[in-house]
Amino acid sequence: MKSSTSRIRTARSTWWRTGAVLAAGALALSACSGDAGAGSSGSEDDGGETQAAEDDGPVEIRFAWWGSDTRHETTQQVIDLFEEKNPDITVVPDFTDWGGYWDKLATTVAGGDTPDVITQEERYLTDYAARGVLADLNEIGLDTSAIDEAVIESGTVADGLYGVATGVNAYSIVADPKAFEDAGVDMPDDTTWTWQDFVDVSNEISKATPDDTFGVQEFGGNEAGFSIFARQHGQSLYTPDGTLGYDDALLAEWYQTTVDLIDGGGEPDAARSVEIAEGGPEQSLIGTNKGAMGFWWSNQLGAISDAAGRDLELLRVPGESEFDRTGMYFKPAMYYSVAKDTEHPEAAAKFVDFLVNDPEAGALILSDRGLPSNTDVREAIAGDLSPVDQQVADFLKDLEDEIVDGPAVPPEGAADIPEISGRINTEVIFDRMSPQEAAEQFTSEANGAIGQ
Amino acid sequence: MSGTHQYGRPRALTERRCAMSVVSELRRTSGGKSPKTPGSKRRSAAHRGDGRAALVFLAPWFVGLIVITAGPMIASGYLSFTDYSLLEPPSWIGLDNYTRMFDDPRLLNALQVTFTYVLVSVPLQLAAALALALLLDRGLRGLAIYRSVYYLPSLLGGSVAIALLWRQVFGADGLVNQFLAYFGIEGMGWVSHPDTALGTLMILNVWTFGAPMIIFLAGLRQIPRMYYEAAEIDGAGKVRRFRSVTMPLLTPIIFFNLVLQVINAFQTFTQAYVVSGGTGGPADSTMFYTLYLYQKGFASLDMGYASAMAWLLLAIVAGMTAVNFLASKYWVFYND
Repeated sequence: MKSSTSRIRTARSTWWRTGAVLAAGALALSACSGDAGAGSSGSEDDGGETQAAEDDGPVEIRFAWWGSDTRHETTQQVIDLFEEKNPDITVVPDFTDWGGYWDKLATTVAGGDTPDVITQEERYLTDYAARGVLADLNEIGLDTSAIDEAVIESGTVADGLYGVATGVNAYSIVADPKAFEDAGVDMPDDTTWTWQDFVDVSNEISKATPDDTFGVQEFGGNEAGFSIFARQHGQSLYTPDGTLGYDDALLAEWYQTTVDLIDGGGEPDAARSVEIAEGGPEQSLIGTNKGAMGFWWSNQLGAISDAAGRDLELLRVPGESEFDRTGMYFKPAMYYSVAKDTEHPEAAAKFVDFLVNDPEAGALILSDRGLPSNTDVREAIAGDLSPVDQQVADFLKDLEDEIVDGPAVPPEGAADIPEISGRINTEVIFDRMSPQEAAEQFTSEANGAIGQ
Repeated sequence: MSGTHQYGRPRALTERRCAMSVVSELRRTSGGKSPKTPGSKRRSAAHRGDGRAALVFLAPWFVGLIVITAGPMIASGYLSFTDYSLLEPPSWIGLDNYTRMFDDPRLLNALQVTFTYVLVSVPLQLAAALALALLLDRGLRGLAIYRSVYYLPSLLGGSVAIALLWRQVFGADGLVNQFLAYFGIEGMGWVSHPDTALGTLMILNVWTFGAPMIIFLAGLRQIPRMYYEAAEIDGAGKVRRFRSVTMPLLTPIIFFNLVLQVINAFQTFTQAYVVSGGTGGPADSTMFYTLYLYQKGFASLDMGYASAMAWLLLAIVAGMTAVNFLASKYWVFYND
């Protein structure tokens, strides 16, 4: 391919040739790295060519969140509205599903490319705050005057406000009245029912319905359930000191409930449960009209109702009046945090302020991120809520007087707990571990995770 | 039938040849004339120029090696001696990550899962590949089509789409159970039971026999026909011909496939990740080594430990390959 003439020429032409090849090589290389920013649309080079720290000129901030397609669309509308009101600020969306979110976030942080505004979650907030990734929102001047005091408390780590809660949720039971009716079983009175009632009702429904329909969907693997159970007994999953706060015997009792349900037919066999659990609300027992009850976060009622195509009801978790005290609690659905090393703290603060405090943004987000934590916004949007969201709002309002306190903020390392909890529960439902063994195993692994 | 033996070399070698032809091409452009060069000043100047051009041509590969392979390896080697959460700068802790491995039952489980997978699925996969290659080698019409069809799974096997499909096929309401239902057998959720989940992944691996099959096919074409003719004249039957002619002459190809597939199987990740929804479940039954490494690094934010695990994996794969090479002395027959 190379003509022989070039060999006769002087070194100069060689250099020219060298340069050409180098350019071609560079092109080829850049073509290879072209899809580096998969997942997020638009440019990744935030801060690259923007003016230094001053927010006078146009700036660009990146906002990371997780969620479903519906949330992505809504959030994009919110961003558009914000940009309309603040033409100097461009917000670059950066979203993934829940599964990929934390891997991606950790990687971008490690790469020094932390998103300016980060959606956080309870179990990760402490990890990120303690490791200096997040900025103290008080320091960058976020207006939190209209936000619920308890909600502010929930985002406080070591005296700094590292996240402002988007809204609140409650872990509760979603029930399908039609399924109860079909089974000829009365809906329980959720203010008085005990855990034993719950097991009996579930078993009864399974017996009275076809083989593929069950009383309740497997739930033992979500540690939120045990957290409530422990609180009802005057114990807790975590103590404020960052240690575990329950007896193994109590946890074994929790696993025993699950075993009783499997033995009694109240919930599906283990393999089916594993398969259902991976499917999310759409493939849940209730979502497919194959079950009467399931444990869910209250803001998931909409998605499950859609999947089921029926009117569903929220019930209190069993045992709320059975023991020393109530166990249910309000959980911040998620948090907005700002990166400590953001180049545009003012712009980031302005955006978070818009998300939490602006009624117009609230009117778009509605209860997608939990019922708004800003009480003014909550009132302003009350009329706009869909019937299902209204149902959730009423349910949470009823709970307000019953809920004693919130659980302690999960300690550093708690991000591992969901995985441990889910895995050990699987061992129980497949009968590979007894409830007692499982309790000991969980405690040992959980202690390892939170560094105790 | 007549055209079957026109292929010069087995395809196994094409990769190497391809690489070699690039090298020789470069040699031609760069120093290709050197043997005859008398050493005149002008020519040596041109030489140096050609040498530079060679370097420039090599540069993309070189940059790739350094940036994509060597750099990360050195980095992970360093990180394996540190406590690194991804969120904070790494801090040196010496051999702690390596000693911690001895107290990690889940690591042991991951090794067990991975070794089971490799030891069961690779031989099965190679057997399937060889069987199909023998079938296709009989000069079927439309061979190219069959070859493509059977090769296809190899291209798709590692993809997310196929893993998702697998989950569906072996699910409680999946194709397999629908098929079993015809015979009145009640199936189960194969991918969601700890006793069978790994099995479905093994089947997935066996199903991707296309790549070794193509290589076997090329190897079969390379066996000189005269050996078969001679054997036939000596009265050797089909089985005898296969055992005494085909197998010995094919051993280098089998060896090549074995080494390659063992290395591949140790690094299985995508299938396990997708089929188990990233959990390695149910109950860690599909917790492959690479998946556990990933979980440690990105979910538990323990990148130091994950890096140490990566080096252990490298050592294991290197060890297995070495064992393969040592053992090959006793069974691989080179016909030269």
